[in-house]
Amino acid sequence: MPPDAGHAAAPGQAGASEIYDIGYRGYDGLRLGRVHATWALFVASVRQAFGLGRPARAKIAPWGLAAIAIIPAAVALAIVASAGPNFSPFSYDDYIWQMQAVFGIFVAAQAPELVGGDQRHRVLALYFSHAMERVDYVIAKLGAIVGALVIVMGAPMLVLFIGRILTAGDLAGAIGDELGSLPQVIGSPLLHAVGVGALSLAIAAFTPRRAYATGAIIALFIVGQGLSQAVSRLSSGFLRDFGPMVNPFVWLDGTRDWLLGGTVSESPVARSDLSLSTYGLVTLVVVVVSIGLLIWRYRRIST
Amino acid sequence: MALIETHQLTKRYPGGVTALDSLTLTVEPGIIGLVGANGAGKSTLLKILLGLLEPTSGTAVVLDLDAQRAGSRIRALVGYMPEHDCLPPDVSATEFVTHMGEMAGLPRSASRERTADVLRHVGLYEERYRPISGYSTGMKQRVKLAQALVHDPRLLLLDEPTNGLDPAGREEMLNLIRRIGHEFGIATIVASHLLGEIERVGTQLLAIDAGHLLRSAPVASFTERTGILSVEVEDGADALAAALTAAGLAARLDGRTVLVEARDEQPYDLVRDSVVDLGLALVRLEQRRGSLEDLFSDEAPVTDAA
Repeated sequence: MPPDAGHAAAPGQAGASEIYDIGYRGYDGLRLGRVHATWALFVASVRQAFGLGRPARAKIAPWGLAAIAIIPAAVALAIVASAGPNFSPFSYDDYIWQMQAVFGIFVAAQAPELVGGDQRHRVLALYFSHAMERVDYVIAKLGAIVGALVIVMGAPMLVLFIGRILTAGDLAGAIGDELGSLPQVIGSPLLHAVGVGALSLAIAAFTPRRAYATGAIIALFIVGQGLSQAVSRLSSGFLRDFGPMVNPFVWLDGTRDWLLGGTVSESPVARSDLSLSTYGLVTLVVVVVSIGLLIWRYRRIST
Repeated sequence: MALIETHQLTKRYPGGVTALDSLTLTVEPGIIGLVGANGAGKSTLLKILLGLLEPTSGTAVVLDLDAQRAGSRIRALVGYMPEHDCLPPDVSATEFVTHMGEMAGLPRSASRERTADVLRHVGLYEERYRPISGYSTGMKQRVKLAQALVHDPRLLLLDEPTNGLDPAGREEMLNLIRRIGHEFGIATIVASHLLGEIERVGTQLLAIDAGHLLRSAPVASFTERTGILSVEVEDGADALAAALTAAGLAARLDGRTVLVEARDEQPYDLVRDSVVDLGLALVRLEQRRGSLEDLFSDEAPVTDAA
């Protein structure tokens, strides 16, 4: 009998090698419902997005990309510390815009990870044979990809924020200055995470094939980025205003500008005649449609 | 209280395939074998009982709950082991079963404890900390069983639990199912296309074919019915059959074997004597086990008193 197959004998019988099987025990404890299961799936999925509890190779992409996203913030701090605050290469307003390719690759790698495997390995049959409803699964996975993106997008912003306070000569004054930026520091990652996460997850959920999902999301963000810059610079009128929106970061940047202020000069938003609220409307529509597609997909999927 | 009651349960898939056809049955607690050929409607029935599939018409009541309206409450009380693979490769058995316990509503710490318990019961030890991708088919089947048991369900639905197992693994899985039913006291439905397996673990047998109930009976009563001796001889099976018929036995020829109805001990002696008298080489003499074919060759569905 293997060593852990039973409980050891009572302490008084130290030395006695007798091991006995205590038999099957029922469970009379707490049984929590759907909300608990959904929360547990959310937590497990955020861990999955960072490869926690999984082999090392599952950690390479998320941690590597998170590090790449943070390094420029750290470098910026070093420049600020030596050359003064006016020489900062990044602001809170444009950090996510500047690093959009990194976040695009992160979500292309990790959104299919969160939903593809459950379809590929048919784990969904187990999830749906428990108390949770199908919409609960969507809520948990959506929450997880948004949560993971908030962490990855928010971490460099936080590094920038804390760093700028600590490197300032006048600590109290710096806290006062930087506190005004807090809505941008918190709001910008949250807004981008919701938009990027919902859209990417909706794409990823439609195929169990990881390569297809990752390819489609990469194409959206990377090709979209190049295309939007070209269209924005080379065309005019309607095409110049709406064409760049093939890149999700364009309507998200416009929405950020609308809600939190701070125009990014490199963004097509700066060259467009559209009112900022239009970007907000596009963001709202895309997020609602993405969530609707996810719910529709998981209602129909057979297990 | 009946474990399961269905009334006129019918499921037609889009495309016209009828998986279940007016299935009406009552199942009492125990280890219930659900037998049928592939495509007979076993998996469809299990999925309807779980509230995962909507029946086209008819009703199903599981543990006194309506499967269509209270699917979520039924699923909280039921453990389900699907026929197909359903395990993620990159996590360990411990991590996965704990996670599934939480999905069934157990708090994390309680789920950890239960996971350690059930993995020990199904016979997974040191390997439970390694990623599932490295497991053998037998180990994977054990993990699938463990995740169905982790929340201490009142009813266990096992779909082809011995699929892909070698003879030794099959034996262990059947022993495990017997223990779960008898020692753990959990009502269990085992769907299988192998009648021999059901005979060995089940207390009650449900045979379905093409979505119809063929028979519902205690396993013991079913095996009694096959009081048939199978006699295999080298040559001259026809002569033996003739001799036995002449001796007043119901004997018929089936290829090289003679099938003899044997309701008591007497036919054994007669067979022995006839073989000696005819000078035949006896290859095999055995009590014929009930086989799926016997069950399915019966003309009309028979429902014995359970």
